[in-house]
Amino acid sequence: MSTQTKQDAPKARPAPIMASWAWLGLMPFFVFAFLFLLYPSSTIIVRTFQDSQTGAFTFKNLINLVTDPYVLGAYNMSIKISVVTALGGGIFGFLLAYASIRGGLPRFMRSSLMTFSGVASNFAGIPLAFAFIALLSPTGMLTNWLKAVGFNVYDYGFTLYKFWGLCLVYMYFQFPLMVLIIAPAIDGLRREWIEASENLGATTFQYWRYVAFPILLPSILGSMILLFGNAFGAFATAVALTGGSSINLATIVIGAQLRGDVLGDAGLGYAVAFGMVIVMSVVMAGYTILQRRAERWLR
Amino acid sequence: MRRGGVIWSWFWMILGVLYFFLPLLATFMFSLRAEIGHLGFKAYQNIFSDPQFQLKFPASILWAVLTIIVAILIFVPTAYWVRLKTPNFRPAVELITLLPFVVPAIVYVFGLVRTYSQPPLLIVNSPALLVAGYTVLSMPYMYRAIDTGLRAIDVRTLTEAAQSLGASWGTILFRVIFPNIRLSILSGAFLSFAIVMGEYTLAQYLAKPAFAPYIALLIQNKAYEPAAATIISFALIWACMGILQVIGGGDQAQIAGGH
Amino acid sequence: MVPVIHSKIQIPGLTLNIDNAKMLTLYLKTGGANRRGIKEQGLRSFDPSKKIKEKEMRTKKFAYHMLALFVIAATVLSACGGGGAAPAPEGGVAVPSDLLDACKKEGMLSIIATPASWANYGEIFELFKNTTGVELNSLDENAGSADELAAIDANKGNTGPQAPDIVDVGYAYGQQGIDGGYYQPYKVSNWDKIPDTVLGLPAKDPNGYWTGGYYGVMALEVNTAVVSTPPQNWADLLKPEYKGQIALTGDPRSSNQAAQSVFAASLANGGSLDDVQPGLDFFKQVNDAGNFVPVIAKVGTVAQGATPIVLAWDYNAFGDKDSLAGNPPIEVIYPSPTIASMYVQAISAYAPHPNCAKVWMEILHSDQGQMAWMKGYAHGVHQADMESRGVIPDDLKAKLPASSAYASAVSPTPDQLSAARDAIKNGWDSTVGVEVTE
Repeated sequence: MSTQTKQDAPKARPAPIMASWAWLGLMPFFVFAFLFLLYPSSTIIVRTFQDSQTGAFTFKNLINLVTDPYVLGAYNMSIKISVVTALGGGIFGFLLAYASIRGGLPRFMRSSLMTFSGVASNFAGIPLAFAFIALLSPTGMLTNWLKAVGFNVYDYGFTLYKFWGLCLVYMYFQFPLMVLIIAPAIDGLRREWIEASENLGATTFQYWRYVAFPILLPSILGSMILLFGNAFGAFATAVALTGGSSINLATIVIGAQLRGDVLGDAGLGYAVAFGMVIVMSVVMAGYTILQRRAERWLR
Repeated sequence: MRRGGVIWSWFWMILGVLYFFLPLLATFMFSLRAEIGHLGFKAYQNIFSDPQFQLKFPASILWAVLTIIVAILIFVPTAYWVRLKTPNFRPAVELITLLPFVVPAIVYVFGLVRTYSQPPLLIVNSPALLVAGYTVLSMPYMYRAIDTGLRAIDVRTLTEAAQSLGASWGTILFRVIFPNIRLSILSGAFLSFAIVMGEYTLAQYLAKPAFAPYIALLIQNKAYEPAAATIISFALIWACMGILQVIGGGDQAQIAGGH
Repeated sequence: MVPVIHSKIQIPGLTLNIDNAKMLTLYLKTGGANRRGIKEQGLRSFDPSKKIKEKEMRTKKFAYHMLALFVIAATVLSACGGGGAAPAPEGGVAVPSDLLDACKKEGMLSIIATPASWANYGEIFELFKNTTGVELNSLDENAGSADELAAIDANKGNTGPQAPDIVDVGYAYGQQGIDGGYYQPYKVSNWDKIPDTVLGLPAKDPNGYWTGGYYGVMALEVNTAVVSTPPQNWADLLKPEYKGQIALTGDPRSSNQAAQSVFAASLANGGSLDDVQPGLDFFKQVNDAGNFVPVIAKVGTVAQGATPIVLAWDYNAFGDKDSLAGNPPIEVIYPSPTIASMYVQAISAYAPHPNCAKVWMEILHSDQGQMAWMKGYAHGVHQADMESRGVIPDDLKAKLPASSAYASAVSPTPDQLSAARDAIKNGWDSTVGVEVTE
């Protein structure tokens, strides 16, 4: 459908000479990213390879990193918690989002859920920890309610301050994040497909198994990876809940080393941060691959 | 949707509501105990009359709005340009936009302070640095949202059509492209707003007035006021989200073409 | 083909606006399916339902106005809220006038890790503001002593408000700061009045790099609404009735107060000022008994009941008791033996406002400053001198905890403190059973 007039030559197929200047349009972004992200963050790389006492180039920090069982344990714990909350947050967040968008609920519930998720996805740190403490500590509101009906959670070994307690608290910002991220993908599930599959005699299960999930899966997995990153980098909530004493996370190690005194090893802290960058980069690569696949269906 | 399906929807929704509201309720109940013997709103009175609150809460809102504006101004043209003209740069740009996810905030802010506290780049005291930092933090969400929106509309055809009507690049961006991705920008703006309101590290170490350090200060000194501040901030931020949503055009899920 | 695409001639009355652009997109996307609709109604007048649009417009206008209001309010408030030094009324402290003038020129003082409720520092803030009229910038009240030195280090060469001018750190950090080159020397005008030793330890650095200000004793802060029979001593802490109730005020690896809690426990369990391992072992026992709760105790968590028994400096415990005013009731108990320790103040070597920092030090060592700390239940270093001069009011004397309560308190030297902190830093995680992966 060519519609050009003489003068207006849309740059649909840019001639090679024209194309070579197009990248200039990206300059504002690159300059911004360099000034305010790449350069200030480069200290991570620089100081990973720098001895914190003498300033000389060294691999010592990296060696400490991979040989210290305490640090490796911290990574392990961080990854575990991130995986669990990404899976749990992803599944339940998806269910919530689907229920409000395509689940036949009143319209206002979708916008309420979206706005609430916007707020809740960044409710973290000390206020969140305190909210759960107020709810589930031995003198907490829910604990008291359950005690009133004769059920003391603490008799069953429940505690807020270990792994599963922390997961429970983390979910508070993981669910909403999932809801917000997956909503556009659920929107992309065209109504015609549900109708078509019904017309063809498919049951709900078959619809999900053969139509919906295959389409949604890349988006869901991709979103879960974002959730992983979110939990992996979380710091304030864990410290607020556990004081850094009952659970060991990579971010807490970084905080302890960087904010510590001369006896804290800043080089190690930066090395741990560097390690986190590597882990996240691997995760992000997976995310990008999944995103490419998801794209096909959203067009 | 089949009838059985609706029951499941209600089930998940109610579960979700319970999970989200119980901790808030516990916080609220605790905040009412500021006076001995009876429940009351004294903690709330204390907060609202605290000049620090009156300064720092609006300040955070201001930072959030500025961040959203700056983010839109930088990321919308960039995403548009990448999609239209320079698709080869897409991997590089996307990698950069995902980097803030990866860098721990405390390392980042130390880097910012070290970089910008010496002349000639002495902007460490300027609010511009804080807004720039917040823009960087919101980049993964904002850029991704904008990109998703652009992906769903036919950028090339729209541009061509508008160009053939004689539109300049500015007109194209702000009068043709922008309205069509409004919903996506809105969802990115939601996340950015919440990020800035809840962000502690940058504001604290750059010594700028903000709400999250204010709550941290309250927690050091007071017992019941932090709970009240939490509830207040939750309610007010939710209201701001509502306003943002209305500005953004309500919850129409359908725009050009419909899915 | 929609005629409009063909030519660049402006069709009269047709302007490219939002609605037209939407129409265009719709048309293009649906491959011209709506051609008849467009042709029939004409692009310019395409307006499906005016009423809905008007309502939408009104709501949007309202929302825009609200947003504008917010932004304006925020700008106005932050513009006039932050600055504005108040004029200096009475209630100030007499300080050397050249210092005062220099400070006024500097215009700000940045302190760090100093909550207003810590030993009644809030009153000293007021004293400073009344004396100088200069802005007091309080950084990071949650920071520990180690964080304070880290902040000086991170802000070297930064003259902005992020750099602390003055620090208030645990006793061991006095020497450590000197070693790190973080302090600059200054001797207050009544330097000679400061005793040479307090608690058997030097109360001031001979070269003036740091100065002791006040000291306190490690005690138990108990929320008696939750804990009906408070523990009276260390051994009680192992009793099963205190399950999940005992907490520290910070991470012992970086908080001076928390580290000294562990140190104090060591004294009670066969350790000494040179050996903190029994303290670590004791906390391991407390943790194994299920009595330890890892939450960092704040006045809020004490009031809520999540951390009803806290090891804290007595002045902090009494301060919480006062600020909660019985809601809930707090009891302060001195275990025996216990530790006493001084907090020292120093001026940052990289301080952007050194003269204000010097004024601050003068205030701390003035009678009013010392009395402010005493009102906060801490023991100022000038206390003996002030008593001999008779300047302490009787009601204040009555408020202070009786010294018999902590007669058993001993005080570690900086080396002992450093060694203890090292051991705690390395041993805490394995001792208290941090959940390292299996």
